[in-house]
Amino acid sequence: MPQKRVVLKNCGIIDPRQIATYLQQDGFKAWQKVSTEMTPEQVIEEVKTSGLRGRGGAGFPCWLKWDLARKSPGIEKYVICNADEGEMGTFKDKYILGNDPFSLIEGIAIAAYAVGARQSFIYLRAEYHYLLDLLQQAIKQVEAKGFLKHVKIDIRLGAGAYVCGEESALMDSIEGKRGEARYRPPFPTTEGLWQKPTTINNVETLMNIPQIILNGASWFNQIGTERSKGTKVFSVSGDVAKPGVYELVLGTPLRELVVDLAAGEKIKAVQVGGSAGRIVPYDKIDTPLSFETVLGSGAVIVLNESRDIVNAVYKSLEFLAEESCGKCAPCREGTKAIVGIMEKFSKGEGSERDIKLLEQLSSALPLSSLCGLGQAAPFPVMDSLQYFKDSYQSRIKEKKVGVVK
Amino acid sequence: MMWMDVENITLTINDSSVSGREGMTILEVAKENGIDIPTLCYIPELSPTGACRICVVEVEGSRALVAACHTPIAQGMVIRTHSPKVLETRKTIVELLMASHCGFCMICEKANICDLRKIAADLEVGLPRFETEKRFYQIEDVSPYVQRDMSKCVLCWKCIRACREIAKKNVYGTAYRGFDAKVVVDCDQPLNKEVCRDCGICINYCPTGALTRPKKLGEEKKGKPLVISS
Ligand SMILES: Cc1cc2nc3c(=O)[nH]c(=O)nc-3n(C[C@H](O)[C@H](O)[C@H](O)COP(=O)(O)O)c2cc1C
Ligand code: SF4
Ligand code: FES
Repeated sequence: MPQKRVVLKNCGIIDPRQIATYLQQDGFKAWQKVSTEMTPEQVIEEVKTSGLRGRGGAGFPCWLKWDLARKSPGIEKYVICNADEGEMGTFKDKYILGNDPFSLIEGIAIAAYAVGARQSFIYLRAEYHYLLDLLQQAIKQVEAKGFLKHVKIDIRLGAGAYVCGEESALMDSIEGKRGEARYRPPFPTTEGLWQKPTTINNVETLMNIPQIILNGASWFNQIGTERSKGTKVFSVSGDVAKPGVYELVLGTPLRELVVDLAAGEKIKAVQVGGSAGRIVPYDKIDTPLSFETVLGSGAVIVLNESRDIVNAVYKSLEFLAEESCGKCAPCREGTKAIVGIMEKFSKGEGSERDIKLLEQLSSALPLSSLCGLGQAAPFPVMDSLQYFKDSYQSRIKEKKVGVVK
Repeated sequence: MMWMDVENITLTINDSSVSGREGMTILEVAKENGIDIPTLCYIPELSPTGACRICVVEVEGSRALVAACHTPIAQGMVIRTHSPKVLETRKTIVELLMASHCGFCMICEKANICDLRKIAADLEVGLPRFETEKRFYQIEDVSPYVQRDMSKCVLCWKCIRACREIAKKNVYGTAYRGFDAKVVVDCDQPLNKEVCRDCGICINYCPTGALTRPKKLGEEKKGKPLVISS
């Protein structure tokens, strides 16, 4: 069975408002093991052996971040949990936070211990404000049990900007500034929040930590593929009969997720990774889902044959152009230019020349943009040009006008 | 201890071996060795921002290009400052900036001293092919010290930094997202603040005609007139 519950193990089983129900499910056993038997270095070593990589999109080795932050000089350090979840078509963190806040808190407690941080922040997406109370109650209950003596966890609400999920803009936002990407180096692990060493991890990444500690790194290491260990939680939406949150072993073919589990029919393409994700055409539906191939944040948007790819890409780029922080020139101007060209195509006014311009922008933006937003923005354009070029060309020839929804 | 001054980092720029000191940026080392990398948002005495991305260079082993103005050098780096990939990317960025620029060069006071125009000419960027929107804002001429025409702004953040770091005033900030991003005063009020005196530092740093000294009737134009030869 490709479905496996590691991250979502307790979701639907425990009562998110009652810590007692979590403790019955081996809750905080991992923390007790860490705090009594392990040094921070041993924790980092265990995470290293597990092969856990970040689930927020970039897939950066989790242990390396922790190690760099631990070794950075200074006594003031921070651990941030990224719960901004702004990516189009992603809703897995919302599900996790609402159903099992305790595992996350346990993960943060262990991360803070490993890194040597005494303050931690959960950066919560503004639209998830209704989860604020639940999370705060959960933190209070954990504090009352005495598991958070070494670290204080505070929640910071975002203000609705997609780019504030990007780690450097996120730190600006917590500092009370306008969220803008920062240049790197210095990386957050040396100069992060308030210029102090900081680690930033996605909700799902931290959810894996207690399980890794409890069951051992070698158990975790056996799940998944060569370079993608463990499971991944996917948010499936679009043209499927059963949209929702699914957890699968990494390396599972996309077909199992969208056809077998989510019951998608007459699929034309699948957008994996959200607005700036990759577009997988139906004939590549057996692509395994892993860091080596396609994954991103785990947003899976299914488009059936009634959908128009050019319009789908147009809408994605409109979103990205609007959400660009506006600091760096290629992203600010480039995404706008792409939107302009896509609009022409959707109106049936595109030309071969415009395809050339799209190609030029698709090469410049990933090479020069300041942060991941601009770097990834042209991906849907590139993929649609590669797999669905006829969709563009038919519009040139027939001056076909697309319905823009 | 003198070791700090020793050129202890060796690297390769455009096939020749050069050396630099710890903490230097690629741009600084390139400059010392007579290699010209165009910049728009960089000013040596201000903190870098990495906003314009025109100074990008190729570093072996890095997937994306890196900005020379804020990337520190490292031992053994292999850098190309003018490879086809670099030039192509730089040109695209400048072309994009020109595409949304108001394009009144003929009647712009800074036309013959405009950095954007100079860079565009150097990189042989012709008339921009992208048909994006042009930035358009009302001229702000409320302040007796600074006239702001934000249609000409290239968002280099220089005025913000000069005001903050040199004049220590913090008059400017940024607002709005994406293409609408703008250098603003307060909540986007026309500049007319008590704190803004006549230091005019921002005007000197502005690479385009966005910030100018308000003209008084009958005053002579500074600088030579723009001459266009065929
Ligand atoms: C534009 C943009 C938006 C992002 N949004 C999120 C987000 O909502 N949630 C998240 O966890 N990571 C997001 N990321 C990735 C973060 O920058 C960062 O890589 C991640 O939080 C690191 O955690 P991880 O190592 O556990 O994956 C975003 C990145 C970019 C470039
Ligand atoms: S007004 Fe001038 S100095 Fe300020 S950001 Fe715009 S172009 Fe740069
Ligand atoms: S000069 Fe380096 S990014 Fe602008």
